[in-house]
Amino acid sequence: MIDFSVLQQGLAMLASPWTFLALSAGLAGGILIGALPGLTATMAVAVLAPFTFFMDATIGIPFLLGIYKGAIYGGSIPAILVNTPGTAAAAATAKDGYALTQQGKSRKALELSLYSSVAADFIATLLLIVVAIPLASIAIRFGSPEFALLYLIALTMIATVSGESFLKGMIAAGLGLLVACVGLDPMTGYQRFTFGNTDLLAGVSLIPLLIGMFALSEILMQLTQPPSAEDRKTTAAEHGGEPLSWTEFWALRPTILRSTTLGAFLGSLPGLGAEISCWIAYGVARGRSREPEKFGNGSLEGLAAAESGNNAVVPAALIPMTIFGIPGDTITAVLIGALMAQGMMPGPLMIQQNPGFLFGMFLVLLVTNMLLLGFGLLAIRWLKQVTRIPPTVLYPCVMLLCLCGAYAVNSSTFDLLILVMGGGLGYVMRRTGFPVAPLIIGLLLGPGFESALRQSLVFSNGSLTIFWSRPGSLILLILLALVIVVMAWRGLTTAGIIKKRFKRLTSPSQKH
Amino acid sequence: MIRPAIARTLIAVSVAATSALTGAQTLAQESHLANEPIRFVTPYPAGGSHSLHAGIITAVGEDFLGRPLISTIRGGGGGVVAAAEVARSTPNGTMLLFGDPTINSLRPQVEDLPYEMDDFVAVARINYSPAIFVTTPDQPFQTIKELVDYAEGNPNELVYSSDNRNGFTFTVFEMLKSTAEIDMRGVELGGGGPAVTQLLGGNTMAYAGDPSVVGEHLDAGTLVGLCVTDTERFEAYADIPTCQEEGYDVVFQFWRGVMAPAGTPPEVVAELSDGFERLTQDEGFLRLIGQIGSGVQFLDHEAFAEALAAEQAALGAAYLGE
Repeated sequence: MIDFSVLQQGLAMLASPWTFLALSAGLAGGILIGALPGLTATMAVAVLAPFTFFMDATIGIPFLLGIYKGAIYGGSIPAILVNTPGTAAAAATAKDGYALTQQGKSRKALELSLYSSVAADFIATLLLIVVAIPLASIAIRFGSPEFALLYLIALTMIATVSGESFLKGMIAAGLGLLVACVGLDPMTGYQRFTFGNTDLLAGVSLIPLLIGMFALSEILMQLTQPPSAEDRKTTAAEHGGEPLSWTEFWALRPTILRSTTLGAFLGSLPGLGAEISCWIAYGVARGRSREPEKFGNGSLEGLAAAESGNNAVVPAALIPMTIFGIPGDTITAVLIGALMAQGMMPGPLMIQQNPGFLFGMFLVLLVTNMLLLGFGLLAIRWLKQVTRIPPTVLYPCVMLLCLCGAYAVNSSTFDLLILVMGGGLGYVMRRTGFPVAPLIIGLLLGPGFESALRQSLVFSNGSLTIFWSRPGSLILLILLALVIVVMAWRGLTTAGIIKKRFKRLTSPSQKH
Repeated sequence: MIRPAIARTLIAVSVAATSALTGAQTLAQESHLANEPIRFVTPYPAGGSHSLHAGIITAVGEDFLGRPLISTIRGGGGGVVAAAEVARSTPNGTMLLFGDPTINSLRPQVEDLPYEMDDFVAVARINYSPAIFVTTPDQPFQTIKELVDYAEGNPNELVYSSDNRNGFTFTVFEMLKSTAEIDMRGVELGGGGPAVTQLLGGNTMAYAGDPSVVGEHLDAGTLVGLCVTDTERFEAYADIPTCQEEGYDVVFQFWRGVMAPAGTPPEVVAELSDGFERLTQDEGFLRLIGQIGSGVQFLDHEAFAEALAAEQAALGAAYLGE
């Protein structure tokens, strides 16, 4: 299949300095956009795509790819530094990343996030060059029943992010699912919990709520419980702490490989994005970890899993797009428009008609990674200083950016109200020991799960047999059962009731 | 290195902003439009035919309207969310809906929605397209007659990809069901993108959609065309018969048109209509529209308003008269 003219065409695309320039500009802009809370990769690509209609394809498309990649990485920066995920895909990153910053290890966290992002992206791209076509043909057979089960498996991750109290985690997740129900019923158009408010027809906007729950609640926490002056002095004096050592990073390779594979698979399924894969990767990493208790308190494994899980999605989401012309998420939907305007129809004919371009695009993806590493390292040199900014200056700035970002999502003032309410809710939850992550997961997965479930039941005329009568759904159902059994087993044995009680009974003198 | 790059971007952005501003100022003297960008609202999720058309219109629209067009993709409720939002926006031409027959003619009559048909005024019809009934090459039926026979032999066994309740695909399948007197089951998947995916993946057996969504797959042979819901054959796929030729009276022309909230001053509507007319005559626009397998059948605000009123009356009679 590979002939030399194709290779040449692909390489020619990279030989142009303009391609590099476009890529760099896109990447730098993307990192900035991703780092600003509320400004998302989707929005940036959607707004800038029309400008590329009039550029050469070898400039316009790399520019957009640069933005896409940069923005997904950029979202992790504020998540680590100020507990404010710049994009929804970085919500899992905030858990351990911010904990590391609080321990004065922000430099380590930033470096790890960059290295795992780049590594995941690189591995996923290489993986996809090899298996793109077989993977895509599996992905397209996924129907609503499989998606419903996949969403259920993702929902079990709530157990891994619930922290100390599983009950509180379940309550938070239930609340998230309830909030996700607000708006128009996806199949009948019936209004649910809108109380006649037209702003609520489209549901509670996710990004403003997310920003509120993380950023605003963090600011409220800082206000009511300011860290002591001494604490601050030690963190500031260390200039962001030590760099990440090679041995630390090398030890994480199984975590990164596992999360990358997961992210690449999930990303190739149309409709599942980085927002979901980061949590699944995080949950799986915790399940496999030798130190699960560290998760949420500054675990390097947790951070690496979340970041490699969300970045592996980027190349994978391009698969359904280039092979079937079906967008994997909203960003790739916009990219399809940009490609079409260049006279290229993504889809079954593209590989035949424009093999050189496709090959060039894969090369561009690999080169983008190298550039991302460079840009990221430069950015970290400055960013690690953020922790030295006094909170009295830093937090008002963060607040202002958050409000702008929340407004920019839909240009809706109602979203500002959602942000403030999310902040209040987040603060109350944190003060009463309710974990925030299950709520976010419930909110993210609720609508997708509902649609997939109800569509499946239409397929089967209301019969539940559809969830085990298809080979794909049967495999996923078994997987779901396994996940639940393993989780319950671990819960009972490692931290569990039976052994502990037994120990206490036999040797009451032992320390407890 | 990062700082110069950002600075460059900022400079580029500010240069673009200044030139846009001066351009707008010169135009403002003879224009009735508000001196701000126009939000062009697509009521369906990204990836379907609406968002493809909107992407092209908003990319080249500024030159003809004198204002930047901002593409806003606002899916949800099969278009209701976006329609309700535009209906209650300030009627000064700064927020426009990229409407269609289901949102503007059918659903307000048969459902209880947070907006009325009269909440909108017609600005310009860009084009219309018929639906093409399609299936995959491995299904037991390869013509529309065979599909009907199959559905007769296996009532309620034929599952097809639908879009939304009372949507485009939904409506043409309802028409086919009632003229051919057959029973089939539709799964509402929310839009053309997911609907085609499920058909290609073998989870559903048929679909009817816009040529810009199914055309690529017809070319590639991954989908087979059954019939076209128009009075004449579709030029690019002239080998596919019309449904009428095959003996099923299913005609539904899915127009895409620009709607403004009711109360928009007539001179603003007229100016917008002129702008869109010039846009649809532009060579670059026609080239881009051609690339997505679509064309232009422009109607200005007066002609469009007439056609719309006739369609609303006809659909009202068909659905409510029964």
